[in-house]
Amino acid sequence: MSSARVAWAIARREFASLFRVPVGWLVLALYAGLWGGMFVQFVLVPGAPATLRPLFATAAWLMLPIAPAISMRLVSDELRTGSYELVATSPASDFVLAMGKFLGAGLFLLAMLVGTLPLVGVLLVVSDPMPDVGPMLAGYLSVTLLGVLFLSVGLLASTLTASQTLSFLGAMMALFVWLLATTAGRSRAPEGVAEVLAMLAITDRLEGFAKGVIDTGDVAFFIVLTGWFVLAASVCLSVRRWS
Amino acid sequence: MIEVRHLQKSFGRVHALSGVSFAVPPGQVTGLLGSNGAGKSTTIRIITGYTSPDAGWVRVGGALASHDAMRVRRSIGYLPESAPTYGEMSVQSLLRFRASLQGLRGKARKAAVGRAIDTCVLGSVRRRRVGQLSKGYKQRVGLATAILHDPPVLVLDEPSNGLDPSQITETRSLIRRLAEGRTVLVSSHILPEIERTCDRVVILAQGRLCAEGDLKELLAGGEHELVAEARFATPASRAVALDAAKAIDGVQRVLPREMDGGVARWRVGFDPSTITEPELRHTLGALLAKAGAEVRLLERERVSLEHLFLKLMEQGPPSEPEAKPAEDAA
Repeated sequence: MSSARVAWAIARREFASLFRVPVGWLVLALYAGLWGGMFVQFVLVPGAPATLRPLFATAAWLMLPIAPAISMRLVSDELRTGSYELVATSPASDFVLAMGKFLGAGLFLLAMLVGTLPLVGVLLVVSDPMPDVGPMLAGYLSVTLLGVLFLSVGLLASTLTASQTLSFLGAMMALFVWLLATTAGRSRAPEGVAEVLAMLAITDRLEGFAKGVIDTGDVAFFIVLTGWFVLAASVCLSVRRWS
Repeated sequence: MIEVRHLQKSFGRVHALSGVSFAVPPGQVTGLLGSNGAGKSTTIRIITGYTSPDAGWVRVGGALASHDAMRVRRSIGYLPESAPTYGEMSVQSLLRFRASLQGLRGKARKAAVGRAIDTCVLGSVRRRRVGQLSKGYKQRVGLATAILHDPPVLVLDEPSNGLDPSQITETRSLIRRLAEGRTVLVSSHILPEIERTCDRVVILAQGRLCAEGDLKELLAGGEHELVAEARFATPASRAVALDAAKAIDGVQRVLPREMDGGVARWRVGFDPSTITEPELRHTLGALLAKAGAEVRLLERERVSLEHLFLKLMEQGPPSEPEAKPAEDAA
């Protein structure tokens, strides 16, 4: 219980600090701008069905620069300024530290997604007949799961370097390679490898959500991988103590 | 109480610590000294649990850092070098956050934050952003975060770093106040500060222990010697007094030196098992008074810490590191 409180204290600080620095507001503006542009271009089309599916289907690519931008300062900035020494010497395990950081970034992601809700309102107002709410809810769930997965990868990158730039680029490159390998790369890979890549394909799973289908296997995929990356980040923090 | 035994730590090919052992007793302020690269920060980081030793062990308040890390970290209040902190937070919110990390909440947290603000005199800046504060205030904020949970052990790395003379004086008196009932380890480059603040010192050089002990004892050179300076009315009275001093039971030698203006300076070596320092001071004082001398100085000879430090640095660390297995911690 005490560990949970410590993790929550770290999460609240991370969440609040993202609103105290320009990068947090830039990320919010960038994401809202990307969604707004996509919304006008592909959703507000006269005669087209009222759905946010184009946004959810491309969520992975939209999130590619966003999640690393949120996560890049989680640990890297503390390593750079030396404030990590204060956190690391407090009576909290490395897993609690990693979890707190991850939760803080996750809360910011949720705030970012809340900022896109006016677009849903616009769609509901201008559409006749009313759009189906189910796929929208499933879509938002998918973006949330995708976002936290990407944040966990970003958190891991952030534990590896004191440079925010390297953390950002490292996470973005890793995610880009992941997306590319499991989409375009899959068709050119040998059969065995292609099967593994298919299992790791994020975009395939997002398509199901975009159609309004919530597959527990897909949900588990995101949760398990997210947990794995957060755990890996905590292991990296522990390794820092021994290096 | 902090016990450090046989610490070894390397960064690649660089041996940061080679078998360092020392103890920091409770209720005292112990200074950790050493030139750049001597291993002070590494030692402090191992004690606070920020990094782990390659070999050796640390015990804080009876708990072994390698086995009971959380208990050790809970019992330590730590001020890292340059007091790094979150500049975008207000003093109050930073202290609340730090208190939460220590597991404090509700009324206990509020009381702890209020106490730390009062102790470190931060009331006037409690709502200001830490990043906007002067270096002195930042350092005070760092000290406040270190004492929030009322830890029995304080570890302060360069607490006077970058402060102006008045801030140094304030910080010194604050550390002395905080030291009451606590075990305090202070690392600093400012030797006069250590001399004024600390009861004991630990001196490192090239990752090895050079000296450890009571500061007064070390400054006295480990020798039992009093220095007496007195002005005598006549050379004859001086000669009589000198003979009488040599005849005191327990006095091993008296090395006289003539100074300007008829002042004599004697270095009186004594055997502490026969006569204690206060007894000798009393006897010698009476003897000089009886000889009609005007006593100007009668105390144990002291060299400055700077002098001692430079001498030790010149000598260098012991050639062989203490090599002992870590298993004896249990």
